[in-house]
Amino acid sequence: MSKLSNDTVSAVENLNRDYICALDNMDMTGWLACFSQQGSYTFIAEENVRRGLPIAFMLDDCYERLQDRVTQVVDIQIDSTEHYQMRHFTQLTNIVEQESGTVRATFNFSIYYTQKDTNHTKILCVGRYEDIITLKGGKAEFKHRKAITDSNVLPRYVAYPV
Amino acid sequence: MSTTPEHLKWPKEAGCTAVPYSVFNSEEVYELEQEKIYNGDTWHFLAATAEIPDKGSFKSTYIGDTPVVVTRGHDDEVYAWVNRCAHRGAEVCRERHGKSEDGVFACVYHQWAYDAKGDLRGVPFQRGLAGKGGMPKDFDKKQHSLRKVRVVVFQDTVFGTFGDNTPDIEEYMGEDVAYHFKRLMHKPIEILGTTRQYIAGNWKFYSENTKDPYHASLLHLFHATFGLYRSSQKGASIVNNDYHSVLWASSGTESADALDDMKKDKLRTLQTGEYELKDPSLLKGQQEFDDGITLVILSLFPSLVLQQIQNTLAFRQILPKGKDEFELVWTYFGYKDDTEELRNIRLKQFNLIGPAGLISMEDGESTELCQNAIVRDGKYTNVIQMDGKEATGNDHLVTEGLIRGLWKGYQKIMQL
Repeated sequence: MSKLSNDTVSAVENLNRDYICALDNMDMTGWLACFSQQGSYTFIAEENVRRGLPIAFMLDDCYERLQDRVTQVVDIQIDSTEHYQMRHFTQLTNIVEQESGTVRATFNFSIYYTQKDTNHTKILCVGRYEDIITLKGGKAEFKHRKAITDSNVLPRYVAYPV
Repeated sequence: MSTTPEHLKWPKEAGCTAVPYSVFNSEEVYELEQEKIYNGDTWHFLAATAEIPDKGSFKSTYIGDTPVVVTRGHDDEVYAWVNRCAHRGAEVCRERHGKSEDGVFACVYHQWAYDAKGDLRGVPFQRGLAGKGGMPKDFDKKQHSLRKVRVVVFQDTVFGTFGDNTPDIEEYMGEDVAYHFKRLMHKPIEILGTTRQYIAGNWKFYSENTKDPYHASLLHLFHATFGLYRSSQKGASIVNNDYHSVLWASSGTESADALDDMKKDKLRTLQTGEYELKDPSLLKGQQEFDDGITLVILSLFPSLVLQQIQNTLAFRQILPKGKDEFELVWTYFGYKDDTEELRNIRLKQFNLIGPAGLISMEDGESTELCQNAIVRDGKYTNVIQMDGKEATGNDHLVTEGLIRGLWKGYQKIMQL
C-alpha cells in the first residue's frame, strides 16, 4: 500500500462508500453510477471460485446489463419481492496499482438484512469484493466488482446486488 | 414400517383438491415422511456422474435429512453410504466434493477407515497396544460397514434408495418423465457450478411450486414482461405415477384469443412493450432442441427437479431440514460439446434462475409466505381446483392438475 498515494486510497475508499450507501439506501441509480461505461459486476459463491466453476448468482457482464439490473429492481420485481433493508460493513484489506490509472482492491464485506414485515435482522452473506478500479481526474469507478460470498448457502433469496 | 396414526389421517372432505395444513406444520408428519418417503421405496437424486468423474471422487449430500456420500470406487463403480461412522456415529466425510487419492475414507474421531464401498477396512488399536486394550477377539470388521445405499446410474445421473422394493428407475419415473429426462440428459454434460439457498418453508410448498405452471406468469414478472413465459403459450402438463410430472412450453407460440383474455383481465402478468432490455443478449438464446420446447420443469418426487429454461439446464435438489425449513441446491450444467458461444449464452442466462434468479427469486418469497400463515389450524384445507378436480395433466398451462397428482401420490405413500 505504501506506493500508492493517499489520494488514490481515498478515491477507492470513497467509491466503495458510495457503493454500499447506494445499496443500503436502495438507490439503484447511485449503484449504477459507481461503474464505468465499461463496467461489469459478478456475485458468485466462494465454492464455485474455489472449484474453478463459472456459475454466478448474478453475472452482469456489460454496462447495459447493469442498466437492466436497475430496471429489474426498480420497476419489474417491485411487487413480488420483500423489500428487505441491507446494511453493508466493509473493510479495505488490499490495494495495489496494476498499471497507470488502474488499481486492484480487495474489501471484506459482511451484509445484514432486516425483513420489513418482521423487523428481524439476519446475516445475508459474508465474503470479499475483488475489484478492478479505474481512476480518472481523482475519481474512481469500478471496471469490475466481483462479490465472492463465503456464505455458500444464502438465506431465502437475493433480490438486490450486494 | 410403522402404521400411520389415526389422528394424522386426513379429514373425510380432504383429498387432492383440499389438503389439510397439518402436512406443512406437524412435526409428527415430518417424522413420518422421513420414514415412509425418504427411507421408503423412492429414488433420490444424489449426483450427476460428472460430479464424481475420477476413481476416488466423492460428493456428500442427503437423502431427506440423512447425510449420504456418493463415491466412485477404484473399480470405477458408483457407491453410496450413510455418512455416519459405524463406531460412534461421527460424520466420516466432511467435505462437499473431493477426491480420495488412496480410496480411503477415514473417520477423524478414532480413524476407523472405510473404502469407497463403505466397507470397514481398518480399526486402530484393534489388537491393543503392548498387549493392552484392543477389540474383542470375535470383532469382525465385515459386520461393521457403513449403512449402504442402493444406487442406480440412469442417463449419467446417480439415484439412491433405502427401499428394498423400489421399482426400476424408468418404471418409477413413468413413460413421459423418463422421456423428458432422457431428452435433457441425451449427451455427456459438463458441470458449470452450484448455488444453494435455505428457505424457511416446508419442502412440499416448493414441490407444489414446481408443478404449478399457473403461478409462473403471475408471480415472476420478468417472465411476463419480456414474454419468456406466459400462460397463453403452447404447452402441456403431464402427470406420471401421480406424484411425478413434466410441464413444458414453447416461447413465441401464443394464441391471439388467450392474449385478448389476459388483456381483459388486466393482469399485471401482461406488460408487453412497456420495458425493453438494453442488453437483449440475455434472452437471445439458441434453439438447441428440434422440438421447439424452450421450457421443461420435470419434477421427480420427492427430491428432484430437472429443468430447461431457455438455454439454462439444472438439477434442483430439495433437501428437507425440518417441518419448516429446506435447502434448495441448484447444480447447473451444459453439454461437453457446447461451443464457446453456447456456453457463454448459458452462463449469462443463469441470471434467470437460482437464488437471485430474475424468474426464480420470488419462489423463495412465496414459499415463506405460505409457511408464515399455516403455523396453526392443521385441519383447515387449501383449494386446488384450477382446471378441475382430477389429478391429471392437460394440453395447456392454466392448471393445478399436477399439484393434485402430488397430493394423490403423497396421501397414498403416507397412508393418510
